[in-house]
Amino acid sequence: MALVIRKSSLDIFSVGKWMLRRDCRLLSTLPEKADVLENTEGEQEKPIRPKPKFNNPVLEYRHVYPEFLPDPNPKWRNSLREKMERADMLKRRSQIDIPEFYVGSILAVTISDPHAQSKTNKFVGICIERKGCGLRAEFILRNVIDHQGVEVRYELYDPMIQSIQVLRLEKRLDDKLYYLRDALPEYSTFPLDMDPEILPEGTPVPVNPVQVKLKPRPWLERWERQELKGVSNIEEYLKEKDRVRRELRKTPWEKYDLMKQYRKTIPVEDQSEIWSEVYNQLHQMRVSRKKLSRKRSFTINKPQLG
Amino acid sequence: MSKSSLKLLCTALSKMKVAYVTTRSCYYQPKFRPPYWYSPKERVMSEDMLTQENRDFLEEVRQDKLNLQTAVESPLAKVETEEVAQWTPTTRRAGLIARKIGNYPLWSKDGKKFQTTLLQVVDNHVIKYIPPEEFTPMKTTKLNWREKRRLGCLLVGSETIDPSIVTKEYCGLFDSVGMLPKRHLRRFMISPHAKMPTGTPLFATHFRVGDYVDVRAKTMDRGFQGVMKRWGFKGMPASHGVTKTHRRPGNIGAGGEKARVWPGTKMPGHMGNSWRTLRGVKILRINTKHNILWMLGVGIPGETGAMCYLFDTVLPLRKLKTPPPFPTQPFVDDIPLEYYDESIHMFDTPTITFEES
Repeated sequence: MALVIRKSSLDIFSVGKWMLRRDCRLLSTLPEKADVLENTEGEQEKPIRPKPKFNNPVLEYRHVYPEFLPDPNPKWRNSLREKMERADMLKRRSQIDIPEFYVGSILAVTISDPHAQSKTNKFVGICIERKGCGLRAEFILRNVIDHQGVEVRYELYDPMIQSIQVLRLEKRLDDKLYYLRDALPEYSTFPLDMDPEILPEGTPVPVNPVQVKLKPRPWLERWERQELKGVSNIEEYLKEKDRVRRELRKTPWEKYDLMKQYRKTIPVEDQSEIWSEVYNQLHQMRVSRKKLSRKRSFTINKPQLG
Repeated sequence: MSKSSLKLLCTALSKMKVAYVTTRSCYYQPKFRPPYWYSPKERVMSEDMLTQENRDFLEEVRQDKLNLQTAVESPLAKVETEEVAQWTPTTRRAGLIARKIGNYPLWSKDGKKFQTTLLQVVDNHVIKYIPPEEFTPMKTTKLNWREKRRLGCLLVGSETIDPSIVTKEYCGLFDSVGMLPKRHLRRFMISPHAKMPTGTPLFATHFRVGDYVDVRAKTMDRGFQGVMKRWGFKGMPASHGVTKTHRRPGNIGAGGEKARVWPGTKMPGHMGNSWRTLRGVKILRINTKHNILWMLGVGIPGETGAMCYLFDTVLPLRKLKTPPPFPTQPFVDDIPLEYYDESIHMFDTPTITFEES
């Protein structure tokens, strides 16, 4: 009897744990890899898919606007400060259109520069990193110009930025693309006069499954230890010693660490509060941007025809 | 002859200007010395065996008192009709009690980024004014010539709390002047003509944008620390035959006549949780609705959520030049929501551009 009871209680416990984990994953800002892969497969089979309906803005906006979620470190949390910060962010967004983009997207940024000849400076590159919360949010663009790798760090809410344009909206297989620094230059070379590629409305953001080739060693980081998916030829540069050390450094238990996951995420209640506060304005901006882009695509086509 | 040289000396001295105030960097052991008006605040919470009705009644009374207090208009309104004292550069005004709520960047109009600290002025009220004749500070061994019984003491409280969670003694301090007890109580030494009647609310608009203030707060408590963290010693090498002495101080004194440890030698010990004043911090922006001040820089002591005290600065070159709201800014309905320093870019104004010259 006692055995039976114990077993059932254990079962309940494990079920509870599973639920918790699911919840955490649902609300983390990290992309859901399994889902993304499924999506891409589905896309290949059926190119025209019905638009995925998001009833819950929490699930959609945490990927589109990750900087609206505060830093989860409890030592730095303060609801009033976060509120003021979000208000300032919305004020800035009412002045400049900050589009949706991800790590791996190709952007063109125009910034005021007092030292430039024309007082503006435009840079085109691939976004290799996006980090920071609130007004500190920033991203890094990388390009190869005259055989020289160039990286520029921009702050998303810097009032010097005149425009941010997404030339190609896509994701890559990894969260950070720092390995492009050690990859062959053609993987981070983009023409400065690239034309924006407009995705048909309602399509999910495509994932680019390209795998880059690394240059031989020395490297800036130990890429072999980072479980990268976007690198194809990492094994050919490794020695036996590196493989052994990679095995030793692996931390396979970390994906089961619920507390670690919890500390990295903002709780459900806080998130729903934040999104309900900013949803209306963000949604309005999105709608107006869509209208504008439709108009723009219409006007761009005319001179090409003529 | 001697007279003329004296005159020369006088003129030379009068030309000299105090351009900075040196602060002693000498370290004092953190110690607790209660001010004379201090009475213990925390009480041992016990089960009062109250019925729910009685609890509700107490809550009702408390709410009534709170409503009464908020309904009473600022006593300053009546004072102003009588006579208004004038502010002079030697006047000492009251200060504010604020809470540090975090940092975020602001940009200037020429595109430079400034890190700022946000301070929220929480529910500040004047509790009591003690004139200099009645003010008897605690006697210390140190002689204090500066405060020669010419400054009064103004008690300011912040954050109203439930009277039942503090001691009777602490409650009595507020009860005698007809206020509800406050969580934080602080004295400000002020000039007698800068006094304010009990119950005057203090807002963030007590200071103006562009003014410089001194911020006094407790530093982060880091506990018992070694010399490397506490004093920035270099430690010793990690390898090359060094054993068991990587983070130790090494030598602490010479031999011969000085064969002892000199007083004040930098050693391991308790670090942090001591009072520190950051002087001359500029106010960049003020929100009048939530009473928030944006201060330039991130050097304000304490962690997020800690309390700090603001005064007009004592730095001679950054002192107030024009008369501030005196004795304080009364509550006005139709003030703008936000004040910005003229160098600060507002987020709802267009992007910064530079014109070709």
